[in-house]
Amino acid sequence: MFDYTYLPAPNLIPSIVEMMLKIVFIFSMNMGVFAPLLGWVERKQSALMQDRIGANRAEIFGFTVFGLLHTVTDAIKLLTKEDFIPRGADRPLHYLAPFIAVVPSLVAFAVIPFGGKYMLWGHEVNLVIADLNVGMLYVFAVASLATYGAVIAGWASNNSWSMLGSMRVGAQMLSYEVAMGLTLVGIFMVYGSLQLTTIGMAQENFFHWGIFLQPLGFILFIACALAENKRTPFDMPEAESELIAGYFTEYSGLKFAMFWMAEFLEMVTIAAVLVALFFGGWHIPFITHQGLIAAMGYLFGANFGAIAAMIIHVAVFWLKVVVWIMILMLIRWSLPRFRFDQVMKLGWKIVLPLALANIFITGLVLLAVR
Amino acid sequence: MVANYKKVNRGVTLTFWERIYVMEVMRGIIITGRHFIRNWVSTIRSYVSGNPADRGIPTIYYPEEKPLLPEAYRGRPMLVRAVDGKEKCVACGLCEVACPPKCITIVGAMRPDGTRYPETYTLDGAVCIFCGLCEEACPEEAIVMSPNYEGLAEYDRGLMLYDKEALLVPEEKLQGRLDYIRRRMFNKCNY
Repeated sequence: MFDYTYLPAPNLIPSIVEMMLKIVFIFSMNMGVFAPLLGWVERKQSALMQDRIGANRAEIFGFTVFGLLHTVTDAIKLLTKEDFIPRGADRPLHYLAPFIAVVPSLVAFAVIPFGGKYMLWGHEVNLVIADLNVGMLYVFAVASLATYGAVIAGWASNNSWSMLGSMRVGAQMLSYEVAMGLTLVGIFMVYGSLQLTTIGMAQENFFHWGIFLQPLGFILFIACALAENKRTPFDMPEAESELIAGYFTEYSGLKFAMFWMAEFLEMVTIAAVLVALFFGGWHIPFITHQGLIAAMGYLFGANFGAIAAMIIHVAVFWLKVVVWIMILMLIRWSLPRFRFDQVMKLGWKIVLPLALANIFITGLVLLAVR
Repeated sequence: MVANYKKVNRGVTLTFWERIYVMEVMRGIIITGRHFIRNWVSTIRSYVSGNPADRGIPTIYYPEEKPLLPEAYRGRPMLVRAVDGKEKCVACGLCEVACPPKCITIVGAMRPDGTRYPETYTLDGAVCIFCGLCEEACPEEAIVMSPNYEGLAEYDRGLMLYDKEALLVPEEKLQGRLDYIRRRMFNKCNY
């Protein structure tokens, strides 16, 4: 049987408007806020972590705005740069690879709920673009598609370093896809669903957050997610001291920027998945979903109260995401790179058995509780 | 097995918690995170107070902010102009002799009242090595090192020949350095 709950409700026009607004919101959050700003955040945060000042020289009329204008200069530089394709490269694939890399990290956001369900003028708003009943499975599927971008980029570049990088991507992604799927099985068993909105609603109680129910699964998932993201300590595919820039050595201009953007958007997606699965999604600790709507409804009236509650929930969700992005950046700038054999060993010999053990223990506990 | 296999003992023994690695990762992240948050707060504090010293980061925004140099810093040598407007230098030529690269050229002359003064005093900035020996040799405290480190480079070596007028600086501007060399002189007596 196939569940059609994600299809638009019978009330067609409000549903379409709602859907368009949600897509525009998520797209603008990702492409308009996170993709350009994370470059600045990474520079500034790494600088502060190392007792430096960081990017601060780009200025307009004497205003440097804490180095934020460097994102503008970056954009201008990347737009005006020559789009170089090496001789002997596979031109169509060379063009295609950045798109394959950047699209999955954008569309993976479709199933992640950034708020709950709210009644506005008799129309139910569900703050998730596609409420798939196989939510996390879709995220896994799409995330592994991003691997193709990196692999094709290395293959099409006609460059040994790129090829080595893309081979490493292939091996690393294959290893960690397996482990990543298994680490989250515990979560699915606990909440009894793959649907991210269901998992989100189940974390209304603070002590039912995934971090308390699945601590081991959480640590394993972070390790796998970092490996999927191809950032330090797992940046074997683009290890600049070994492979120049790995699979995107031969890319310049906007196509390079797309790989760059894909990395950052993947980080946002990972942070959002972490928040949705382990950190209570849009919930504020100790305040129930309906409780906040009722309180806001008492203050502003039913409809505007629901809107206020919606804004608070969405803000809380993005706040958690931003905090998690900063923690991921802390990890990225704190740890040295693993050797390739260490990456493989960690994936197959440590994370995978521990994930299986986690499933076993979760099953036993669930049996004992019921 | 490889033929010449040799086990190297690197003297590294990891405890159980270090082998787990997760705890060590957390410790490292706490250290870097502490730096991050401390510098973040101090940067915001310096933006609010407008005092660069509040930033807590050693970096200086150079052209806008200048470092506060200690008195012991040896910049371009300067001649001291006494309070009455005359140069303290008596053209004895000791600095000319003490100067290792021989960058000082003095032509002495006599004032009507019988005191000596340098008619010309030329210091070649392209040759000077900023050693400070002229200052140590000077019996009159007439030439001292200044904290001036800017504008010393030129495209033409001729422009780096500093004459007397370029070198003379009023005494009160060099008071810190003068106090310093007096202090240093008394310290030397204690050897």
